[in-house]
Amino acid sequence: MNVSHTIVRRTAATASVVLAFGALSALPATASGGGGVEHRGNCSMNADWKLKAKADNGRIEVEAEVDSNKAGQTWTWRILHNGGVSARGTATTQPPSGSFQVRRLLVNAAGTDQIGFRSTNPASGETCSGSLRF
Amino acid sequence: MAPQPAQQRPRTLGAADLRRRGAWLNPVLLFVAAGALAVVVLLVVLSWFSTRAATDQAIFDARSVTVVVAHSVAEPAMPVGLVEGRAASVDRFDRTVLSRLLVDRIVRIKIWDATGTIIYSDKVQLIGEAFGLGADEQEILAHGGSAADVSDLDEPENRFERGHGKLLEVYTQVHSPSGQPLLFEAYFPYSDVTQRSADIASEFRPITMAGLVIFLLLSSPLVLVLARRLDRSAADRERLLVAAVEASDIERRRIARDLHDGVVQELAGISFTLSATARQIHEQPEMTRTLDSLGAGVRRSLRALRSLLVEIYPPDLRTQGLPTALDDLLAPSAAAGVDVSVAVEDTSKVSPDQVALVWRGAQEAVRNAIRHGRPRSLLVRVSALPAGVQLEVRDDGVGFDPAVDPPYGHFGLRSIRDLVEEAGGSLEISSAPDHGTTFRMTLGET
Repeated sequence: MNVSHTIVRRTAATASVVLAFGALSALPATASGGGGVEHRGNCSMNADWKLKAKADNGRIEVEAEVDSNKAGQTWTWRILHNGGVSARGTATTQPPSGSFQVRRLLVNAAGTDQIGFRSTNPASGETCSGSLRF
Repeated sequence: MAPQPAQQRPRTLGAADLRRRGAWLNPVLLFVAAGALAVVVLLVVLSWFSTRAATDQAIFDARSVTVVVAHSVAEPAMPVGLVEGRAASVDRFDRTVLSRLLVDRIVRIKIWDATGTIIYSDKVQLIGEAFGLGADEQEILAHGGSAADVSDLDEPENRFERGHGKLLEVYTQVHSPSGQPLLFEAYFPYSDVTQRSADIASEFRPITMAGLVIFLLLSSPLVLVLARRLDRSAADRERLLVAAVEASDIERRRIARDLHDGVVQELAGISFTLSATARQIHEQPEMTRTLDSLGAGVRRSLRALRSLLVEIYPPDLRTQGLPTALDDLLAPSAAAGVDVSVAVEDTSKVSPDQVALVWRGAQEAVRNAIRHGRPRSLLVRVSALPAGVQLEVRDDGVGFDPAVDPPYGHFGLRSIRDLVEEAGGSLEISSAPDHGTTFRMTLGET
């Protein structure tokens, strides 16, 4: 599995983490800072996924993206929060990028929140899966 | 000489005098003024009641909205796991609340469990905090219903609502998917209640006001007609009364004149004849004594008849003068053995109306003293004041207790008092059992 990483808000701490683990290409990329966390990774075939979370007045704004470079594909998706399904739905990749995005607000629970994203293309059987801790 | 017609009688107030006293006595104006006052008072009272009713209605509306929202939106949307605080369940319910519950001016939603813990609020910082529930809230949570109250923003559970101004909180019972009773609480701006109340009240105010004004407009002409009829009736009664008094006056004058010119002159002649005859037959002492006795009897009858003439028809005070009239008035009392004295100061500067009223007062007071007081002495004093006159009639009779027998219970005295008050004077009657009675009437400025 190929992994690329982009740092949205670079900090010294995250930079050191990225440098330390950059060679581990099997792990998704992580970026955090200013209250926001972002993970990226590759799906099981050709698509990429991105999962972002940031604080929003007691809530967590979660944004997930799947980019397959092919418009018109229908994907099912789920957002998981501390193991439970917080939101689910279907989405179609849009031109010109051939990607879709979903954005949901989650309630910021006590302690660290475990946020996950799962998406499947039933036609191709490709799956994307990512998570982050907030 | 026949008694002269009395020309100085106390005048009673007529309709014209009442009209001159001021327009405020006009019944139509009084009615309109009273009606306007009633309109204002009614408007204030009705506004208060309608505002109160409208406030109750507005609160009832808020309760209705809360119950509908709680049972038709919140309860069906409540996911399994919400009560337990599962994050994903809270997320799902939160999205429902944000999109569907925070409507109709609801500014805050809280859902409590029986332990007083907030299991959900759109202010998510409150989720999981425990504050406890009041007795009313426990009651509704356990048995259903709804209630409303003004939020106490000093309470810690309401700390996030402090920026919203005065709030009305409404709570009702809902159930979790597992059937656990919960308390659903919605917060509304109290300004909505105030505005709703003002809207309702303002809808009724013009109706009320228009009704009252129409009533006034319709009834004023009727009152005007009635007042004019009453005025005419009063004028007619006044004319009849005056005619009756004048007729009585004429009749009394005729009787007095007939008595004076007939019986009195006859008796005077008989008296003179008896005296002259008695002097001529002095050689018959027995007959002389008899004639003298008869003459004295005739003279007594003559005095009594003259006093009766004074009673029947008052003297002409201007020509005969008040002292003479008072002497005539007291003559029967003196003849009956009462020690009478009359003291009259110069009343030439006193108005004829006041002199006439003094005469009427003296007549009434002396009559009462003789009839009821059985006095040994009777004093009548008329004092001239700088701008008026005072009459005092004092006797040493049996007196009376004014508390037991009010002096104005008697028609005569009540009539005199009315005349004195109409003339702007004062009347004072003081008495005590076995201490005589003093009648003091003051006219004009003292």
